[in-house]
Amino acid sequence: MAKKFELNEVEVWDGNYAASQALRQAQVDVVAAYPITPSTPIVENYGAYQANGFVDGEFVMVESEHGAMSGCVGAAAAGGRVATATSSQGFALMTEVLYQASGMRMPIVLTVVNRALASPLNVRGDHSDMYLGRDSGWIQLDAFNSQEAYDLTLCAFKIAEHLDVRLPTMVHQDGFTTSHKAQNVRPLQDEVAYKFVGDYKPVDDMLDFTRPVTHGAQTEEDWHFEHKAKQHKALMDSPKVIDEVFKEFKELTGREYKRVESYMMDDAEVAMVILGSSVETAVLAAKELREKEGIKVGIIAPRNFRPFPFDLIRDELDRENLKAVVCMDKSAPGGAMGALFNEVAGALTSTKARPMVTNYIYGLGGRDFSIEEAQRIMKEQKAHADAGHITTQIQQFSGVRGPKLGFYETRRGK
Amino acid sequence: MVEIRWHSRAGQGAVTGAKGLGSVVATTGKEVQAYALYGSAKRGAAMNAFNRIDDKPITNHETKMSPDYVFVIDPALAFSDDITKNDKPDTKYIITTHLPKEELIAQIPELQDKKDRVYVVDCIQISLDTIGRSMPNTPVLGAFMKVSGMYDLDFFLENMKKVLSKFPQKIIDANMEAITRAYNEVK
Amino acid sequence: MSKGVLATDKRGVRELGAEKKVGWDEVPQGVVLNSFDDNVDNLSHLRPEERPYSDFNSFTATVASWRVIKPVYNRDICIDCQNCWVWCPDTSIISRDKQMIGIDYDHCKGCGVCVEVCPTNPKSLLMFTEAVDNEEALSGWPEKKKKEKK
Repeated sequence: MAKKFELNEVEVWDGNYAASQALRQAQVDVVAAYPITPSTPIVENYGAYQANGFVDGEFVMVESEHGAMSGCVGAAAAGGRVATATSSQGFALMTEVLYQASGMRMPIVLTVVNRALASPLNVRGDHSDMYLGRDSGWIQLDAFNSQEAYDLTLCAFKIAEHLDVRLPTMVHQDGFTTSHKAQNVRPLQDEVAYKFVGDYKPVDDMLDFTRPVTHGAQTEEDWHFEHKAKQHKALMDSPKVIDEVFKEFKELTGREYKRVESYMMDDAEVAMVILGSSVETAVLAAKELREKEGIKVGIIAPRNFRPFPFDLIRDELDRENLKAVVCMDKSAPGGAMGALFNEVAGALTSTKARPMVTNYIYGLGGRDFSIEEAQRIMKEQKAHADAGHITTQIQQFSGVRGPKLGFYETRRGK
Repeated sequence: MVEIRWHSRAGQGAVTGAKGLGSVVATTGKEVQAYALYGSAKRGAAMNAFNRIDDKPITNHETKMSPDYVFVIDPALAFSDDITKNDKPDTKYIITTHLPKEELIAQIPELQDKKDRVYVVDCIQISLDTIGRSMPNTPVLGAFMKVSGMYDLDFFLENMKKVLSKFPQKIIDANMEAITRAYNEVK
Repeated sequence: MSKGVLATDKRGVRELGAEKKVGWDEVPQGVVLNSFDDNVDNLSHLRPEERPYSDFNSFTATVASWRVIKPVYNRDICIDCQNCWVWCPDTSIISRDKQMIGIDYDHCKGCGVCVEVCPTNPKSLLMFTEAVDNEEALSGWPEKKKKEKK
């Protein structure tokens, strides 16, 4: 029996420590992990909890991230509660097995500390790894600070393991900005947290010898499509459970989460759609701008990156007063518009209001996102709104040195 | 909101110091942030750590700040780092040095018009005398308590003991002595 | 040869790939295939023909049509050494109480390994084309070969 960990009502934890505590409290059966900056402390801390008797489960050291996720898939197929952590190149090396895990419907929890992908080699935070996972069939939750990294990790187990979901779930936090920034965190006591997460309910576990099963069977063109369709349906149906879990969490803690967080949208004339720790900075910038210059700015932040909340985003955008929307992508777009822009623009096409939408690439490799820069971009949206058309190129770069970089002109209303 | 920027070298414990300060402050019901800019820096490389302290939750995640206090815990960084970057008219400086205050200021042009806001303390020597190695992170907090008047020394020591509780008693005692000395010696 | 063992209800009852093609709403979650239709408590004590194999287990599928040549087994010569049972890649040699009793023609693909490893003289297993009747094959079984003197 694992020892109880003494916790104060308020702790000062960074995002990594917060996530590792949530893994400990969920009493994971198997953690197979290969540490990588900036998520190393999650694995390190978990190893320490295990060595010091705070965890009953197994800690498996492996030879790579590919091995880590493979170990997780094996342990999950055997019938255990399973979790691990990674970042960046580690995430990239896991990618093959991420698809296996979701296709096999293994409810693994992966705490991802977002970091840029090389090259150039960079340990700091951007969203390239998070974006790399977007078609992998996992549920992706996005934490904006340490408290949320803790809360959402607990929620992730409950969502992933729900019998109507049974899909692996990632909890993302921003490298360094969240993972290495100590902030006030109000944790649950061990027994309260475990009761919330609940006992693991095995499905088709290989250790059930009375009912032998084959996991991850090969299917060709005659079966593959049906399985992928079923998997997509499960993902598209998961919001019902996600909402339920968030509701239950709110009843327990008073802390409310929504699949799309929105701030000051009711009367907003311009809006910024943004992810990660930048959300909080953007909200602060918007409040200030409202007070100082009277520009009605709202913020929309998808908490749930996958399944992408198409309907809720559309609801937020379909407002008569809303004229211009900017989508902030913290990942090198690789020859396209940013992924968030594309998702949001997709949702926009079937709105009545059809606000203008533009794209910024910002914060790559951990480049600081300042309140001042956020406000400059917000004011630019106001200029679009006043002019009645997009006054800049559609895709621009924020905070990069050198001549102004931008792509594509609007054909609407100029 | 109180904002603090640490100028340190990787390995001098600025991150631990910033987190320690955050932990003590959080016990009084305040909200805190403690973070650093170091990435893949090696031991000895110049780096910054930061604290934010406020009565309400802190949601600003921009790294850049206009500090109310600047801690320089490595003597050489007072000369080589841009320690007055983004400062305010009332920013206070706590600088580790073996030099007398006037002599130090005379050598740093940026500090000429800020003489009355500069405080000096030899955290390196204090830590060598007490902890037994160069570890200026906790002493500077003692100096900070004196300069800011944020908490009584005894209150701070009591809470800092809890933060350091994972260390052996000998180390805790040495740190307490270091903090107390810096509190008394800062000028 | 015991017909009861070789002709159980479920062995090779369908062509491989002839299982019902259900839609996305009916496929099992997570590409999981059940070996059995029911729970089985004492699996290691059950012989294959006693196990409730499901339609997703290869036991119930036949691949007999894949075979061009087949092994024929001669009980009169066999010494029950079990070599063929060990070597068969498709578990198509059927043996009970260490006694060889026949070939599972629903799963045998005619590779000839059993003939290759058979140590008797003449061999107790020989390959024949599919068209040859087993009784006919047995009636023309070769004689013992004498060792050639050096």
